[in-house]
Formats: sequence, C-alpha cells, structure tokens
Amino acid sequence: MAPNRRSPAGLRRRDFLAAAGATLAAPAVLGPGDALGQGTPRRGGTLNMILNPEPPVLVLGVNNQGPTLAAASKIYEGLLRYDFQLRPQPALAKSWTVSPDGTLYTFNLQENVKWHDGRPFTADDVVFSIGKFHMELSPRSRAIFQRITEIAAPNPTTVTIKIREAFEPFLLMFDVTATGIVPKHVYDGTDFRNNPANATPIGTGPFKFNEWRRGNYIHLTRFADYWKPGQPYLDDIYYRIIPDSASRGLALQSGQVQLTQSNDIEPFDVPRFQQMPNLAVETKGWEYYGPLSWIEVNHRVQPLGDVRFRRALSMAIDRNFILNRLWFGVGKVATGAFSSATRFHDPNARIAGYNPREAAALLDAMGLRPDAQGVRARLKFLHLPYGEVWTRLGEYLRQAFAQIGVQLTMESVDAGAWARRLAEWDYELSINFVYQWGDPTLGVERTYVSSNIQRVTFTNTGGYSNPQVDALFERGRTAVRAEDRQTAFSELQRLLVAEVPQIWLMELAFPTIYDRRYKDVIVGGTGVQASFGDVYIG
Amino acid sequence: MEPAALARFVFGRIAKAALVVLAIVVLNFVLIRLAPGDPASVIAGQSGAADPQFMEQLRRQFGLDRPLPEQLWIYVSRIVMLDLGVSHRQQRAVVDLLAERLPATLLLTGAAFVFAISMGILLGTLAARRVGTLADTLITILALACYATPLFWVGLMLVLLFSVLLDWLPAFGMTSVGANLTGFAVIVDIGRHLVLPALTLGLFYLAIYARLTRASMLEVADQDFVKTARAKGVPEGRILRAHVLRNALLPVITFAGIQAGQLIGGSILVETVFAWPGIGRLAFDALLARDYNLLLGVFFCTSVMVVAFNIVTDLLYALIDPRIEVAS
Amino acid sequence: MRDFARRFARNVGAVFGLVLLLAVLALALLAPVLFPVDPWQMAGVPFAPPLEDGFLLGTDSLGRDVAAGIAHGAHISLLVGLVSTVAAIAIGVTLGAVAGYAGGRIDDAIMRFTEFFQTIPSFVFAIVLVAIFTPSISSIIAAIAIVSWPPVTRVVRGEFLSLRSREFVQAAIVLGQSTPRIIFGQILPNALSPIIVLGSLMVASAILLESALSFLGLGDPNVMSWGFMIGAGRSVIRLAWWMSVFPGVAIFLTVLALNLVGEGLSDALNPRLARRRG
Repeated sequence: MAPNRRSPAGLRRRDFLAAAGATLAAPAVLGPGDALGQGTPRRGGTLNMILNPEPPVLVLGVNNQGPTLAAASKIYEGLLRYDFQLRPQPALAKSWTVSPDGTLYTFNLQENVKWHDGRPFTADDVVFSIGKFHMELSPRSRAIFQRITEIAAPNPTTVTIKIREAFEPFLLMFDVTATGIVPKHVYDGTDFRNNPANATPIGTGPFKFNEWRRGNYIHLTRFADYWKPGQPYLDDIYYRIIPDSASRGLALQSGQVQLTQSNDIEPFDVPRFQQMPNLAVETKGWEYYGPLSWIEVNHRVQPLGDVRFRRALSMAIDRNFILNRLWFGVGKVATGAFSSATRFHDPNARIAGYNPREAAALLDAMGLRPDAQGVRARLKFLHLPYGEVWTRLGEYLRQAFAQIGVQLTMESVDAGAWARRLAEWDYELSINFVYQWGDPTLGVERTYVSSNIQRVTFTNTGGYSNPQVDALFERGRTAVRAEDRQTAFSELQRLLVAEVPQIWLMELAFPTIYDRRYKDVIVGGTGVQASFGDVYIG
Repeated sequence: MEPAALARFVFGRIAKAALVVLAIVVLNFVLIRLAPGDPASVIAGQSGAADPQFMEQLRRQFGLDRPLPEQLWIYVSRIVMLDLGVSHRQQRAVVDLLAERLPATLLLTGAAFVFAISMGILLGTLAARRVGTLADTLITILALACYATPLFWVGLMLVLLFSVLLDWLPAFGMTSVGANLTGFAVIVDIGRHLVLPALTLGLFYLAIYARLTRASMLEVADQDFVKTARAKGVPEGRILRAHVLRNALLPVITFAGIQAGQLIGGSILVETVFAWPGIGRLAFDALLARDYNLLLGVFFCTSVMVVAFNIVTDLLYALIDPRIEVAS
Repeated sequence: MRDFARRFARNVGAVFGLVLLLAVLALALLAPVLFPVDPWQMAGVPFAPPLEDGFLLGTDSLGRDVAAGIAHGAHISLLVGLVSTVAAIAIGVTLGAVAGYAGGRIDDAIMRFTEFFQTIPSFVFAIVLVAIFTPSISSIIAAIAIVSWPPVTRVVRGEFLSLRSREFVQAAIVLGQSTPRIIFGQILPNALSPIIVLGSLMVASAILLESALSFLGLGDPNVMSWGFMIGAGRSVIRLAWWMSVFPGVAIFLTVLALNLVGEGLSDALNPRLARRRG
C-alpha cells in the first residue's frame, strides 16, 4: 500500500465531500470487484479458513471480538461497506443522501432481501438494529448513535436518520462490523444477550449458518436467496478451530486450509509463507481498523508528565528494528497519532527519528543526570499479554531505554490483570494497540481528549490533558465539511507529534495469507471481515 | 473383609472426600477472586471498546454484580446439584466443555500412566534382580536422567527429533486437521499423535516407579518371610512373584495414588507443548482469561478424580495386603 | 563426621554430582565476570547458530547471547531452588514437629490440613498462586514453598513420633526443660538427616518447578532464567534448535547433580541401606 498512499489524502477528502456535503446519491452499483476483477467469477467450491480463538457466539453486538466479526460478517450485513480508501459502498443500502446541513441521512434499501429464515427484510429491521439492538449492546455504537434524535422507516425500503448536529464521520458507522443489521422478528422484546436464537444466527448475508461443532469447525453454506444476483460463488465456508499456532502454520502449508487471517500465523513464520509460490500474502484490508500500537504513558507519573522526557523515550526507539526484527517486516513504522490509513492522516507531521544521543541530551537538559549505576530514571513497564511478540517488544524497549539511562522494571500480567490495571490507571508504562475505525473522531480522539479520562479501558486512561488538543479534536468533530476537518486535524497532528502524549510504535498489519486460486478475497478496507460474496475459485 | 465393613469404609471415605472437594472448591473460589481483573474486564480489553454500561451489563450477565458471599453460596449450592454453571468467555455450559476436553486428557494421562507404571515396575524389578550389574547401573542411570529432565523440554526434544528431523510422527494436536478420516484410520491417526505426548508425560513417572520398585524390592527381599520361603525351598521365580513383588508393590501403589493428581499438573505442560486439546490447557487458558466458572469446574473435576483415585488406592491396598485393615 | 565423608566419597555418583553442582555454582557466581554484558543485551545478529559470530551457543531471536543467558540463569535457578526449599522446610518442620510432639487432636488437625494440601495438584496450585500474585521472584518462591512443604511435615512428624518416646527425651521432660528447648535442642538434631536428604531433593524439584513456570510465561520478567529461554525458543524450534536445547541441558545437569548428591547424602547417613546398594 505504500507509495500511492500519500496523494489519496486529498482525493479521499473530495470523495467524502461528494458523499456527505452535497445531496448526491452514491454511484449506483459500483461493485468493489470492478477494480480487481480480472476473470469471470465461477460458481462452486469450498473455502477452509482458520478461526482463532473460537468465538463464544456468532451474533454481532452480543460479542464484538475479532473472531466473531470475521465469521459473522458473512452471515450478517451492514447498510454500507468501504473500499480501501474508506469510501462508502452500497451493501444493504442501495443509495443514500445527506442533507446539506449534514443532519438528515436517508438510506434507500435493496429490494427483495430475505432473512435466512425466509422472512422479508424491511426498513423496520434497520430501525430496530440501530435504534435498539446496538444501542443497548455495543459501547462503540452507543457513543455515536446517541446523537440520533429520530430514526424512522417512512416505507419498507427507506430509513431516515436525524442527528442532533452535523457529524461528518457518521457514514463510517454502517459497516457490518460496526452496525450489523439483525432481524427484528427474532430479537425485539427479548433479552438480547441471552436469546436462545443466538445459537443459530439469522442474517441477510451471502452465507447462512449451518453447523457449529465446538472446538472443531463452523460450517456456513451458500444462501440461495441472496439478493445480489449470482452471488455468492462459493458453496461452503468452513472455519477450522486450531488453537495452536504451529498447527495453524502446518495446516496452511499442507493446504488443509486455504486462508489464514489476523494473528493466525506468527510474525516469524510469515517470511516462510511469502516464499511459497501458491500463496498470496496480503497486508491490505485493515484500513478501516487502522490498528496502531504505542507505548501507553501514564501522565500522572513523573517524569512521564514532562514532554521532554517523552520525546527522549520516543527518540531512543529504533522503530525499524522493531518492524524488521520483531514483526519480520510486516507492518509500517508509525508516523504519529494517526495511522496512515486513517482519514485526514497528514504525512507531513512526523515524529522525530531514532537518535539516542539527542535523547540523552534532552534528559541532560531536564537535569536528569545518571546516578552511580548510570540510571537517570526508573519506571515500571506492564507487558501486553497478547502473545510472544509483545513480550519480545517489551524486552527490546527495556534495552533501548537502558541506552539512555532509563531503567524499566518489567511486570508481566495476564489479560485479566492487564485490562484491570489499565482501567484503574495503575501502571506507569505499558503497550497498547487500538483500532482507529477510519476516522480520527471515531477512533483517535478517545485516547487524547481530557473529557474522556475514565476508569475504563480504551479511554484516555493515561490522563493526558491539553486544552489545545481538546479544542482541535472538537473542531475536527463538529466541522461539517471535510476540508475544514482536514485543516483542524493537520494542525492537531503537528501538535501531537510535538507533544508525544503516547509513544507511537507501529502501524500493525495482519497478513491475510491465502491460496492464489481464490480470487477477490480482499476487496475493501475491512479485509477478511467482509461478506466474501465476491470470492470465487479462478 | 466383611461386606458390611467394606460398605461402611467406602461410605465413610466418600463422605470425607466430599468434604475435601468442597473445601478445595471454596479455597479456589476465594483464591481466584483475589486475582486482579474479572471476565468483564478481559472481554472489554479484547473488544476494542468499552464503557461503564457495557461492563455493568457483562457483570450482570455473569452474576458478578452480587456480593461475593452470595456468589459463593450460589456456586456451592449449584455444585451440589452438579451444575457447574456457564463459561463466561465461551458462553457454554462448563459441563459440556469438560465433557469435550476430559477424554483427551484421560487418554493422554492414562496412556502415560500405563506406560510409566508397567515399564517402571519392569525395569525396577530387573534392576533389583541384578543388583550391582551393568544392567542395574544402566537402569539406575536412565531413571536418574528421566527424573532430572524438565518435562516440557523432553517434549520439545522429542518434537525436534521425531517431527522436525526425522518427520516420523506429528508434532502437534490430537488429530490431523481436515483429514476426514473414518473408522480404524481415526484410531491410527490419534495413536500417532498420542505417542510423543504420552512418552513425554510418562518418562518422568517411569523414573520414579523404577526407582521405587527397585528400592522396595531390595527392602522386602531381606525380610524374614522371604528368607523363610527360600529356606523352605520355594522356587526363586515363585518367591519373586508371590512374595517379593506383591509386597514391594505396596509403596508403588501408594505413590501412584498420590501421583495420579500430579499427572493433571504435568498434563498442562504437555498439552501446551503438543497443543493437545485437554483440560490442562483449558484450565490454564481459563485462568488467564478469568473464566471463573470454567476454572472452578476444572478444579472440581480434577479434585474429584484425585480423591476417587485415593479411595481406589486404599481399596487396592487392602486387597493386596490383607494385613491392613480398611476400617482403621 | 569423618565416617560420613568417607562413605560419601566412596559413592562415585555422589562425588560426580557434587563436582557438577560446584561447577554450576561457580558458573552462577562467575557469570558477571565471564559474561560482563547484560544477558538481555541484543549483542549480535538474531538466530546465529552456535560457534558463529563468536557466540559459543548461538544467539536467540533478538540476537541475545544464549551462553550469557545460561550463565546468568544459573544464579536464579539456584536462588529460587534454595530459598523456596528453606521456606518449605521451615513450614514443614514447624508443623511436623508440633504434630508429632503434641499428638492427639492437634496432630489430627495438622495432618488433615496436610492431606488437604496434598490433594490439590501441586503444579496447578503453583500456577494459580503465581498468576494471582503476578509473577515475580518472590511470588514464585512463595508459591513453590507453599506447594512443597507437605512431605516435610509428614517425615518430621514421623521422626518426632518415634523420637518422642525415647529415653533422652523423657529424661529431658523429667528434668523440666521447656518444650521449645526439647523440640529444638533434643529431638530436632536427631531428626536432621532425613530432612537434609529430603531438602536436597526438594531443591532439585523446586528448580524444575521454577523452570516449568517460566516456560509457561509465569516467570519473573526481569531475570533471565532457563525456563524462560526454553519457552522463548519453543515456537522457533524449527529455526533455531539451540535456543531450547542448551538451557534444557543446563537444567538437566543441575537437577541431576542435586539428585546424585541427595542420594549420596542419604546413603552416607543411612549406612545400613547403603551397604545393601552394593
């Protein structure tokens, strides 16, 4: 994705303007396959892929962890989907318009859409899903949908949503992984979390749920009454549950599975698969999430509250070493608070590069002189308990910081303790990686604004507070026009790069490795968490 | 032994065992709650977004919003009805999860146990019969070596040798993924996967049983009743079988009874190394994910097995050595 | 005493074990001299095989010197083994002495308590304890001590039960010596030899336990340990076998040495048994 990344920033802005500012229907049926389709899709075939860890349930909203999204995105659909530039594309919504003041959204739905149980899909399902289901279940939707003042279904194929004030990123909230549309006739008036129907999910997607052998596989079959003509092409999808990473690598190598995703394959194994001619290694398809990793800084702990100290730490890190030695070249070095895939990313705002000497000079200037053991400051570091590579990262950071006289004491915790300690602000330094969901207002703001300092994970747990940053985030959030948002966010990115409120490390990329015979596998910014209606065997 | 006495003995032991199991459950319940973080915080940490309402919903769903003593009371009163609750993370009945994973562990530990005890007794007897010879020395050294090697490392080395270098046996898992085998082929497939993990788990215990057998055979061989038998002209083979081995096995059996529970601990390591889908690994993952109900369920299950095994051992003991009265 | 030394020296295995143990001890003490660089330091290219680039035992996935890791790891293995055993013996001796000396209900209660602890699989229990109190040297030592005291209690109780009725103890009681003095001054010295033997074996199993915990990722993240090294090498065993082979050999030799010494002690302290060994 590298070189042509720079210019689309401007292009993307215009596209969003077209969708949001003007009252303009989206291009009617611009199939995402258009750009890619070299051959003619053929019917038939089975796709075996890996799912790890095994999800507890396949109903979106009831659970929103990665594996659930990966499988459920074939069963359910959202109103929209997104291409690599995060431009909205039609899904259950055929077209949409936004009023000039940016407060009224009208979605025209596809016709003749059926649920997997044969019932017709109508606008009421959409109203229910957005207004009730996700509002109650999903913290992410709740934060955005509370802006809705009125949601209505004037007729069975139209949904109108009125929001309090203009909110330009609103259109990014309608992906299946954010707001999957669920059947009202199954869920209305029930306890969503404990509904017995959760065991047999019913959606409108190209594949329907068939069987789940726990600990073994999940089987989805082709939905014959799918609304998009000709799709899906595949007959079956099997999700194989393989908890051990070495076994997963073996299964891919031997061809027992044809696709791996996310963390299925350990970073050190990726180069091996890159060598295999029958496999494609694709790192696109995470643009919508824009996972960015950073050193999570607790600003309440001195000297972490001092910007010079944070800058020194940031300059002590050789990010290319991390990229090449720990992630074996998969991913990108972070440039700042915004992932380069996130809208309004400004390539001109970049954090200072690796320079331990200057870092030491900064510490000298602060008056932090090395003591008898050569130590200027001692800090505690909480390992991120999500696997070996994160432990190695912590070990690297300890050595990198030792170079400039900052001594880290490592604490290793499990997932339960990590989440709790972060939420309780009970840490000094840790590692975190966070999804940006395509837009700074949706996925970046929460980490930096002072109004979101909360005792909950993925808020501004570090307690960073800067009125200027708050104001710029607000300007970017409330501006109606994308251009104005860009101005605010560019200024913001320059400010954040100087402030280093978190010490950004890497834009993570999770390679999707698949058998080259399968075509049109990764067709948009949500990668494997998409419908797979387009996938065929060429 | 009279049937009535036997029944009283068994019943008494079961009552005592039930108390022990209950105490273990309570202890574990309290211990796990001391750990920082709860299932809701883990799920929030992995969902990429959270707010207080979300956390509260999850805690209510899991019944974690009630006071701790009440939760304990609910848990214990359910366990009496053999209801182990629902796994927080996997949203399935703990009993189902255990039923799914337990056979794999039983197969693994059973195979390892049989291998260890049969080979151990065999080697131990052999060594005792030829005290001081080269065979004895070799067996003693082998036992010492097995005893001194970390279990997980043996596993890794076996993988390195038999899977990576020789490519004879599969390194991971219990079945071949997506092979769609049927009938006898399934058994062969599982058998091939079983060899390395069972060997790994068994070697350590083999060492113990071999040493124990050797030592206690030497001890017994010196005792008066053996000397008497020998003086009476009983053939040496018969002495060995009827007198020495029979009595020498007592400490071995006692130890095996105690050790049965420890096998579960070893299986955590072996299941980790070989990605064996058993309850050891299930328990470890449940601990890290704060899946309280699941973890307690595994503890309950294993401690029931341990105490049951102890009762069986006591009975066996009584059968082998009639001098011991079960009632005492 | 000289008798004891002579008997010990006659046992080839025990002497070999002692030499080995001293070598490990020397390695632990000399590690900072032999490998002055921090074992965590990324000193070379990653995955260098043994003997390449000047690394005797190769480097790991971050380019850290495996030999340096093993030398520095010796320290932590011995420390954990020793301290946790001392702690376990302290608990075990106290409970066992009280149970054996007091007898009756107190004995009953203590033995129930001990039995209860023996019912819980010790490794599982240790894992839970370390996970709950977050992995660190002290939590690991505490966990190992907590799971390893019951056998000590049983042995000590047995010794006390039999020694209590001996003439010299009865005499001390008649003379009006205080109970602690009788326990520590009269009985304990006579019960020492089985405790010493048990202790040497416990150090060995404590080292194994520590390495297993570290292997599972429950080690102290601030110290280089053998179990940690094997755990870090596990997933890349196809790429770099030396990362897991050498630390395992180190554990093996240390534990073997301790077991040999333990057996030698046992034989030397119980000449009757030793003779039978031939």
